[in-house]
Amino acid sequence: MHRRQFLRDVLLWSAGATLALPRFTIRTEALAAEKPPPLVSVARGADYPALVTQVLEPLGSMAAFVRPGDRVVVKPNIGWDRSPEQGANTHPQVVRAVVEAALAAGAARVLVFDRTCNEPRRCYASSGIEAAVQAIGDRRAVIEHADPRKFVPVEISRGQALTRWDIHREALDCDCYINLPVAKHHGLSGLTLGLKNAMGAIGGNRGTLHHDLGQSLADLATVLQPKLTLIDATRILLRNGPQGGDVADVRRLDTLVASADPVAADAWATTLFDLRPETIASTVAAHRMGLGEMDLARMRVVGG
Amino acid sequence: MAPRRWLPGPVGWRRLAQWGFFVLFLVLFVKTDYSGVDELHGAVNLLFRIDPLLALTAMLAAKTVVVLMLPALATVALTLVFGRAFCGWACPLGALIDASRMLFGRPGGDPETRGRWIKYALLLFLLVGALFGLPLAGYVDPFSILVRALALAVHPALDHALTTLFTWTYQHAPTWVNQFTEPVYALLRAHVLPFSAKVYALSVPSLVLLLAVLGLSRVRSRFFCRILCPLGGLLALGSRRPLVRLVGGDDDCGTCRLCRTICRTGAIDQERHIDPAECVLCLDCVQKCPRDRIHFARASAAPAAPPINLGRRTVLASLAAGALAPLALPARPHARHPEPYLVRPPGALAEPDFLGQCVRCGECMKVCIGNALHASGLEAGLEGLFTPRLIGRIGYCEYNCTLCGQVCPTGAIRRLGRDEKHATVIGRAHFDRNRCLPYASGIDCIVCEEHCPTPDKAIKFRETEVVNSRGERVSVRQPYVVDSLCIGCGICENKCPLEGAAAVLVTAAGESRHAGRRGWGGY
Repeated sequence: MHRRQFLRDVLLWSAGATLALPRFTIRTEALAAEKPPPLVSVARGADYPALVTQVLEPLGSMAAFVRPGDRVVVKPNIGWDRSPEQGANTHPQVVRAVVEAALAAGAARVLVFDRTCNEPRRCYASSGIEAAVQAIGDRRAVIEHADPRKFVPVEISRGQALTRWDIHREALDCDCYINLPVAKHHGLSGLTLGLKNAMGAIGGNRGTLHHDLGQSLADLATVLQPKLTLIDATRILLRNGPQGGDVADVRRLDTLVASADPVAADAWATTLFDLRPETIASTVAAHRMGLGEMDLARMRVVGG
Repeated sequence: MAPRRWLPGPVGWRRLAQWGFFVLFLVLFVKTDYSGVDELHGAVNLLFRIDPLLALTAMLAAKTVVVLMLPALATVALTLVFGRAFCGWACPLGALIDASRMLFGRPGGDPETRGRWIKYALLLFLLVGALFGLPLAGYVDPFSILVRALALAVHPALDHALTTLFTWTYQHAPTWVNQFTEPVYALLRAHVLPFSAKVYALSVPSLVLLLAVLGLSRVRSRFFCRILCPLGGLLALGSRRPLVRLVGGDDDCGTCRLCRTICRTGAIDQERHIDPAECVLCLDCVQKCPRDRIHFARASAAPAAPPINLGRRTVLASLAAGALAPLALPARPHARHPEPYLVRPPGALAEPDFLGQCVRCGECMKVCIGNALHASGLEAGLEGLFTPRLIGRIGYCEYNCTLCGQVCPTGAIRRLGRDEKHATVIGRAHFDRNRCLPYASGIDCIVCEEHCPTPDKAIKFRETEVVNSRGERVSVRQPYVVDSLCIGCGICENKCPLEGAAAVLVTAAGESRHAGRRGWGGY
């Protein structure tokens, strides 16, 4: 939908003839259309701590997202009982560097968590992320397991497939939510990137989201909005995702992708797999709902 | 005694030992859990490995020396020296029975001697039964009764109660309360409670069994220990001539028979002779004797233990029952058609060996991080009660986890390395296409495929065009199982998002432990 159609809709609406129109949908799409082209930053290199700094620089570095005193949530993918080499979880060095950057920007507290698919303790240990966060040795950096008590029911007023779901309280009401997924293959959705990473911040019987996965993820993205999406593509899993297990299925790219626009980050990261953004249902659905840009030609890509 | 007032008396020392061993036992019990590394060090299996009853029955069943159970010799040695000191000083169930005496309203002793023979008859029956293929020791062994009840009922119930409390404070109490309660809860979570909420099949029956054992103390003090406990019976056999024993009063005591009245196991007779086979060295009599007459002495200084009141007929009947009862087992249907949904843990021995070695302690269920292992009901026959089975809908076998084999005290579940575990087939999954959404309704799903842990996924999918429930032509991904890759971990069944029964189910078909046994008795 474009601006012209939006104006037409507004005219109809203001004429009072179409009060039943799904007006949230119209407004957000219109807002998306008016936004300046999103900035997508891409960085390549084998020194991951330096790479995090490098990829954030064009976006104004971490200070653009985290202000002193902020309560920050960093949500990596710790879904699987796999080692960093197997590429199923966010790389621990990347997680550590992002948490350190948030601390350096003055965060009062940085919470790291994921609601895992395999046994949580095994995932936290095998992924190396628990040890990496603890190694920072800063009391403000906290890694904890998803606490069932912290998932609260949320009305998703703009939701089409999901209208209500349990979501992690701190992920919702923190000052800065940083989405830190790993890019990898996924049987049902093709790829799992930033939007799919929201699965680890929600409660309930998550499997049912698979019945309309693309739309469900877009619906979640209307309420769970990261200020920053940083996609870990240091290793990408090409087959047998999302948990892999065979290093032969992993390609090492030493790449990070970052953007304030969650849809744009996903869309650009799709190209790392030689795929078009249109092939990923969640990207398409989120773009249609006005949550971000998916047209590669309408992004400013730095470092790509 | 005045200069030694700061030291505990004899009973004090014994109580201290009981508390000490009980706390040690609880620590080991709580430590029987994933600790952040694959290898577990120190688990409550230690307790079972010093149990000579279970060592004997396991070895009789296996007809070989089970090396894992050799530490039981230490208990035997202790018994040969001190008699049944183990029962009075170390046994955690004995400690619990002593501690709960007040609760059941009958403190003090009871000199009644009737029924003592039962533990010997039971012991004979169990030993012969184990040899001939009817393993029942785990149902009456004190450690099995205790650990099973703690693992399946008490620990999860404690977790549920405390979590309910701390959820309430978290959601409703003001912040200043939470500043206190949340760290307490975190501490409990980290060191006392199970990592996550657990549920267990047969949790209530296992608890009732323990409570029954404790409750019997109302009938007679230490009822279980003096009449039923077959481990006590075995240790009693070894205590007939201990090197060191208690010697009681004599005719000089006049009419005083305080020792006899207060003896909790009824080990002291009219003549104040202390029967070393019944005495658990609780030392109540030593402390309470008004004339300090009761003391330790070398065996030669005391009269021999009275004969066991066990008639030849009883002995023969016990032996015959143990030898003949197993004959009925092959007449049951599952000798030919084993329960297909009875999925055993990875590393479990072939079924008859497994049943023979398993001591029904519930440790594997306690340690199972997926909450996958549960006590069987009658699926494996009456003698299979409380043996572990995987219930996929409740939990799944974690791909990289090998803990159950590490805690199994007897090796009924073998210890597996990670690679060996990955190659161990405990069953196979199959789809119920009448319920599976991509087949039944033309709706995308394949959560099973997403979670399938083998690096080359055992669940794959085909992109197929179907007519969905609304009559539209749609393209969906339909899952299927590659049998040669599936190891039966059950994560597919566990994560299947359908309500109620899963659309992908695991049966014991193809399990590795019976790979070479086709054509034998249905296996």
